[in-house]
Amino acid sequence: MSTPAAVPVSRRTALVLALASLGGLMMLLWPLLLRVPPDTERIDPPFLFLALLPVVIAVVLAELSEGGLDTRVLAVLGVLSAVIAVLRGISAGTGGIELVFFLLVLAGRVFGPGFGFVLGVTSLFASALMTAGVGPWLPFQMLVSAWVGMGAGLLPRRVTGRAEIVMLVVYGVLAAYLYGLLMNLSGWPFLLGIVVPGHEQTALSFDPGAPLWENLRRFGAFTLITSTGSFDTGRAITNAVAIAVLGPAVLTTLRRAARRATVRGHVDPARTAA
Amino acid sequence: MSSARLPRDLHPVAWWVWAIGLAVAASSTTNPLVLLTVVAVASLVVFARRSEQPWARAFRLYVLVAVVIVVMRVLFRVLLGGGVGGGHVLLDLPEVPLPDWVLGLRLLGPVTRESVLAGLYDGLRLGAVVVCVGAANALANPKRLLRSVPAALHEVGTALVVAVTVLPQLAESARRVRAAQALRAGDERRTGRLRRQLVPVLEDALDRSLQLAAGMDTRGYGRAGTATPAERRVTGALMLTGLCGVCVGTYAVLDTSVPRLLGTPMLVLGVAAAVAGLLSAGRRVGRTRYRPDPWRWPEFAVMASGIATGAVLHWVSEHQLVVAYPDLASFPQVTLVALLGSLVGLLAAVAAPEPRPVTS
Repeated sequence: MSTPAAVPVSRRTALVLALASLGGLMMLLWPLLLRVPPDTERIDPPFLFLALLPVVIAVVLAELSEGGLDTRVLAVLGVLSAVIAVLRGISAGTGGIELVFFLLVLAGRVFGPGFGFVLGVTSLFASALMTAGVGPWLPFQMLVSAWVGMGAGLLPRRVTGRAEIVMLVVYGVLAAYLYGLLMNLSGWPFLLGIVVPGHEQTALSFDPGAPLWENLRRFGAFTLITSTGSFDTGRAITNAVAIAVLGPAVLTTLRRAARRATVRGHVDPARTAA
Repeated sequence: MSSARLPRDLHPVAWWVWAIGLAVAASSTTNPLVLLTVVAVASLVVFARRSEQPWARAFRLYVLVAVVIVVMRVLFRVLLGGGVGGGHVLLDLPEVPLPDWVLGLRLLGPVTRESVLAGLYDGLRLGAVVVCVGAANALANPKRLLRSVPAALHEVGTALVVAVTVLPQLAESARRVRAAQALRAGDERRTGRLRRQLVPVLEDALDRSLQLAAGMDTRGYGRAGTATPAERRVTGALMLTGLCGVCVGTYAVLDTSVPRLLGTPMLVLGVAAAVAGLLSAGRRVGRTRYRPDPWRWPEFAVMASGIATGAVLHWVSEHQLVVAYPDLASFPQVTLVALLGSLVGLLAAVAAPEPRPVTS
């Protein structure tokens, strides 16, 4: 029983997605890509990317909805975004327990990669609007959670039953850690500063002059101390438990809705006339 | 008094442009005097022109986040940065070497004035950016903002409007489900209870969404794209060019060994092509707006004051390096240009009309 994709992804859309993801990844991983002449006086974090990333995300969203989205898909998208925003609201700030990915992963799995991408963006944007969390961090969060939703839609379709739940649990755990890692990487130089000759920073700060390996080591220590050990693990465990316990029931509910939201019949004029 | 100045909600986009201008200003300096001026300007405008709507109260939260950022910045300096570099020792804390498997880090150590100041200045910069964004959140009506999304994102904007509107219904739905479950016997364990709550609420929400879709269909939301294949090809080409430009430009900005021609010019070209693609994709959407927000001279004035702040301080960061990035050893200096530049944003409070009182 394969339902048609809620948000169709044509070859051109896939290309746009790939290009935008590449650009977004570069903006997230910029500390690892930065090369400057050794005698640079001072280096500022590229605040420019904070403005650039929304444009990239807007282009992808415009491309995904270019052929016109079905109203049923739109309505489901809106409602699921609201549910995720509520889940985020009730789970925020309690020891890294975050239920955001749980529904995002399940919905991406059921509705497909295109829908997962859009849902990742809209749900975080909606929750930021509601809880007034629009900040410089929002574009990065939207992009990474969009990847999480899209990735869930790209998982192999053949796996069903208990194996499917196991696969989703594993994916949820990986996604939670990866999300934390990428968010930390984008915020690391902003929080700890950048080392330039003459201006010493902390022993864990980003040093553009140092080799890649040294920077990775510093970042690893930073992320281990600040979040991988605590928040990210909390998030991974919450997601895994939520998917394992509630996954089967929620998947059934979502599949039923998906079938109703994506069915496309057409009226045969000859039969109507009769 | 002209009708433009009568109490009303200013166009949300004007507030956002103003706030982004202030954020650009804040991001282009580490001078604490200038940064505190920008923060003060943003706060004053918020206090003068915010409405009594719930989102207006969020400003406090952003200020709190900004304070946390500054404190964290300084704390990290004290905790991890001890003993590096020289300078005036403020506090001679003992050094705690950690075992080798934690990468040979040392905790604490002597706290120098320079290291604390550097942390403070950099933290203040990020904190000021956060306060500026918070000001926009407090001043601009998010629901009206959603209505001004570009036409190309019309559908995604609609989904967001649905999300924002459906939220109160979810609470009501949860209450109904709880009442119904209380009347029945059933699984009383924790996970069972959770499942009995969540699944009906989700089912209810999805059911309603399909009803809503039917309603939207009858009101003409379900429109097919009217673009011809040639127009669609142009849109696609523009978008792809734009993204390629952004990718190449981003890489060139980061890697300075690449020819400079590929940096900022490529980025500008990419963004221009992407915006053109968005406009072209938006042209296929034929829709009218119900009671559009007016755009009059106060909107222009608010926008201009924000842009002016950003432009002046950007100029300062290029031409008056000592002012923009003060030395840590002496008291930071300001010039008249930098001070006036950061105060221009205050004009927004004068230009903007008073917010509409909330009618109960």
